[in-house]
Amino acid sequence: MNATLFLQTWRFQRIKLLAVLAGLAIWGFLMPVIYSQFGVQFKKLFDSGIIPKQFAEFGEGDVFSLPGSISLGFIHPISLLLNGIFAVGFASAAIAGERQRGTLEVLLARPISRRGVHATLYISLLVFLGMSVGAILVGNIAGAVLFGVVDQLNLSRVPVLWLNGVLLFGAIGSIGLAASVSFDRLTPALGVTLTVVLVSYFLEILGSLWPDAKGLQPYSLFFYLKPRAILTGQTDLFSFGLLLTITLAAIGYALAIFPRRDLAAPS
Amino acid sequence: MAAIQTFGLTKEYRSRLPRPRTPTAARALDDLTLDVRNGEVFGFLGPNGAGKTTMIRLLLGFLHPTSGQATVLGLDTERRSVEIRQRVGYLPGGIALYDGLSGERLLDYLAGLYGRPAPRRRELLDRLEFSDRDLRRPVRDYSRGMRQKIGIVQALQHDPELAILDEPSEGLDPLVQRAFYAILDDLRGAGRTVFFSSHVLSEVERLCDRVAIIRRGQLVALEEVESLLARRKRNVEMRLAGPPPILDGVPGVSGLTIADGLVTCQLEGDVGPFLQAIAGHSISDLTIEPAHLEEAFLEFYADELGLADWGRSTRQVAETSREEATAPSVVDR
Repeated sequence: MNATLFLQTWRFQRIKLLAVLAGLAIWGFLMPVIYSQFGVQFKKLFDSGIIPKQFAEFGEGDVFSLPGSISLGFIHPISLLLNGIFAVGFASAAIAGERQRGTLEVLLARPISRRGVHATLYISLLVFLGMSVGAILVGNIAGAVLFGVVDQLNLSRVPVLWLNGVLLFGAIGSIGLAASVSFDRLTPALGVTLTVVLVSYFLEILGSLWPDAKGLQPYSLFFYLKPRAILTGQTDLFSFGLLLTITLAAIGYALAIFPRRDLAAPS
Repeated sequence: MAAIQTFGLTKEYRSRLPRPRTPTAARALDDLTLDVRNGEVFGFLGPNGAGKTTMIRLLLGFLHPTSGQATVLGLDTERRSVEIRQRVGYLPGGIALYDGLSGERLLDYLAGLYGRPAPRRRELLDRLEFSDRDLRRPVRDYSRGMRQKIGIVQALQHDPELAILDEPSEGLDPLVQRAFYAILDDLRGAGRTVFFSSHVLSEVERLCDRVAIIRRGQLVALEEVESLLARRKRNVEMRLAGPPPILDGVPGVSGLTIADGLVTCQLEGDVGPFLQAIAGHSISDLTIEPAHLEEAFLEFYADELGLADWGRSTRQVAETSREEATAPSVVDR
């Protein structure tokens, strides 16, 4: 861990980070609002059969309960997009982007090991993701308080949900960083990471909407994000353990491969 | 202890393409053994693609050797590259910088990564004529020459024991080049070691104590610049205002021609006998061209190594620099 690199990474990302935090906080705020204002109407609509029941289970989230709406907020593409700015974009570009621009050479000419660079960037990423997931939850709580439904939220479970979110996006970020150290250019690193995320997301959503495809969900990283279960008092330790294992495997791969790679002169 | 030592250093680049499409690996460096002494300015010369940058990247641990080994400041490049980089300043060829930062912030950041102050920054900026106003501008607005200047400052601002510079004068205008050369002279005076690559022989001639020539990854020459130049034949041109001196048989003189009061010949080694032979004769003008490294080098190595193309391109550079450097003089060396 290098303090100078850590601080500079913060400086480089600060505007983007502020925008992402604002976006996620607003998005998080909207979930309890939608539940409190339109939850009953949505429930009637689904009960009437106009909309197929499966659509009420989008990624195991819904708008008929506060935990359900918070769960929907986490699994919704908007959340994925905003969290993906760091978990996918930052992570994939962290090394491969510097390599492509030629600045990695300037950085690695300093007395900092490649493992140190990776560790610093991963810690930075975790902090960004911790703040991002925290921003959704702050928005959730603010919305619940302002619209009078906070009594339906078990606040003692919020830190567990925060940890679950950070573990999920941290796992995606560790895959992104592993891809980033493996390629000399940004495009393949970003491509690999996006493929993992999109396939994973597709499997989770498909399984949640189509009962016959439910068996595919365990192959998705998003299956191990359990907001509703956590907020209703259940903690699936296996999900936490699996996300942590994937993260450690990706970090282990990156730490093994990065120092061994030849960094030829930028083209 | 040598500042840099390599032993049979070899680097092959293997393609990542499927095996049937890559019958052979490209050998960028082939069994290179050399040493750079402490406190010397060492020129590492070669045409483009000869392996200069590969060598530098091996020294800094960016690349891993296929075989052989290298030490920098007594430290193994494979096992202790972080310690090496703590004590080395590096200027990459065609340096890429963080365009969003101002020059000042960039230098602060890069110095901060060393975890120690940058005592030479102000002096270097002044000598390279880099104003505070320019320093506050974003790097993205810099010209190529300004980028190169910032690159030089970032490499030397922390006063490294060894400076490794890849084509350092690229993009610098002649005045700044001169200032840069003076900085290197001062580094040598302070006992620092400078290892720099170049494909411009005149630059190496001006700065270096020793020079290594590399071609197609192989070391083809390793010599003291002075000894290379001492063996060089000088071109002499003499306009007479009276009867010609007798130069036949004067030691070191060859290729003598006399026509229309103009004497031309080549002179090798000690100039004393030649000067004695012409003393007392009426001479209206005399030019002895300085021994330039490119000609010396080409004279000794070009034929056997097939470096004629390189020679032609570097000779043009040499002639330009010679026009600048050699005002009409009687005896240049």
